[in-house]
Amino acid sequence: MSREPMRRTIRGGRPYFFADPAIDKILNMVVVLGSEVWTLRERLAAFEAIQVRQGGLAAGEIDAFDFSPEQEGKLAAERKEFIDSLFRILQEQVEEARGRTARAPQKPTKPAKRRTRR
Amino acid sequence: MLELKHELKLDKSRDEKARMNFVSGLRAHVLNDMATGMRAVYDADVEPAFRRATGRAPTNGPEVHKSIKANEYFKFYSSLRVTAQDMVWQSVFPPLERNRPQLKDKAARLARRKKFGSLQLKEGFEVPRYVSAIDVHLMAGNYDGEYEAEDLAAGALYDNGLAVFSFGLMGQNLDDIGQSIAGFIRLKFPNLKPKKILDLGCTIGHNTGSWKDQFPEAEVHGIDVAAPCLRYAHARAQAQGREIHFHQMNAEQLDFPDASFDVVFSSMFLHEVPKKGIEKIIAEAYRVLKPGGLMLHMELPPNGQLSPYEAFYLDWDSAYNNEPFYKPFRDLDPAAVCARAGFKPKNFLQFVIPSVGWYGEKVWSEAATRPPEVDSDKTGRLTDGIMWYCFGAWK
Repeated sequence: MSREPMRRTIRGGRPYFFADPAIDKILNMVVVLGSEVWTLRERLAAFEAIQVRQGGLAAGEIDAFDFSPEQEGKLAAERKEFIDSLFRILQEQVEEARGRTARAPQKPTKPAKRRTRR
Repeated sequence: MLELKHELKLDKSRDEKARMNFVSGLRAHVLNDMATGMRAVYDADVEPAFRRATGRAPTNGPEVHKSIKANEYFKFYSSLRVTAQDMVWQSVFPPLERNRPQLKDKAARLARRKKFGSLQLKEGFEVPRYVSAIDVHLMAGNYDGEYEAEDLAAGALYDNGLAVFSFGLMGQNLDDIGQSIAGFIRLKFPNLKPKKILDLGCTIGHNTGSWKDQFPEAEVHGIDVAAPCLRYAHARAQAQGREIHFHQMNAEQLDFPDASFDVVFSSMFLHEVPKKGIEKIIAEAYRVLKPGGLMLHMELPPNGQLSPYEAFYLDWDSAYNNEPFYKPFRDLDPAAVCARAGFKPKNFLQFVIPSVGWYGEKVWSEAATRPPEVDSDKTGRLTDGIMWYCFGAWK
């Protein structure tokens, strides 16, 4: 018998609780993301502690640190990119809607009925 | 995260440790904070709504379950608990998969250490369907899954998973159950001087070792059906310097002769077995016990001794955590099961034992002098202030 990888999926599946199982799945994704965020924080804390130990940083130096205006500008652009990518899925819907509008045959438009205030 | 304290400890990266820390923290949040929150929601909304609809309070666990199922807090609690349960094992798989070759070498080295215990596996042993057919508590591969010859990975998955799962409540060596109970028995029955002790369904032997610690003169045996757990248990006991003899056996049909043990113990075992099997196991325990010997099972408390809400709370696992035999076990009357196996009703006993790790030696040892209180929201529930329930009988 050679060495096979261990099976990681649960036989019989898993239970769902919300009316739409998609909610359970998304909750799971959020928690897994939370785990990765936490993992990054621990890694950063380890990095900072090592830097302090080796004299590359003073204790508390990161908390007291401010970016230069140039660095701030660069970070602001990156932050915008990050936020855009986070909500890309919503943007996709918008772009798809715009695409449909653009492709729609241009009918002669009736003059819009306008309610005029008397 | 709890680090294993023996040589079979896995090498883990900083990130792998952090993920385990997160899962332990998540579980503590769900099982302490959210469990308290769910009780508050039940008292404020769910129970009053039940009363308005029926003119009475719920009388059992299933009624509470039915009434709370549509509640949003219950859904979040349950969904997060399933997620956390899954993440326990998922946090172990990557380092375990990487460590498997080294783990096997280490175990082989430990098994060659001269003194200490032994391991006996059986060629062609048949694992009962109630173990081989399910992934109990959402643990992929279950206790008996094997992926190579001489495999012990499932044992390592359980040991490392338990360290994440228990968020400290099962002690630094995952033996709080064994230490709390074996020590309690030694205090409560000073005349009991066991020569031979048997642990049924011992998995990785994490609670078997405590009997050796408390009764160093005794010969201690552990049995289980799952070969990878037994291989791991043997290596683990060798690493911890404990002389324990592990055998592959089904507790429903033991190979030991009649009247050969002074103590027959199990922990968190009977609830993994269907009712028919439980009856056979208790009868076998009776058979292999010497007259005057003690049978003791650490278990989840019986539904008959719990309030409807506590019964619902503990039965959650049966409905949602791949524990199909959990509720049927808890619906049994332990005294009646012991009597059917031949134990005299007057020889039945049950205790609620405070966790020695959580409460400390003083409170724990004082409990040996008090009558048991079963219906507490700390009994059998993995939460801060845990108390272990056990029942059994003298032969």
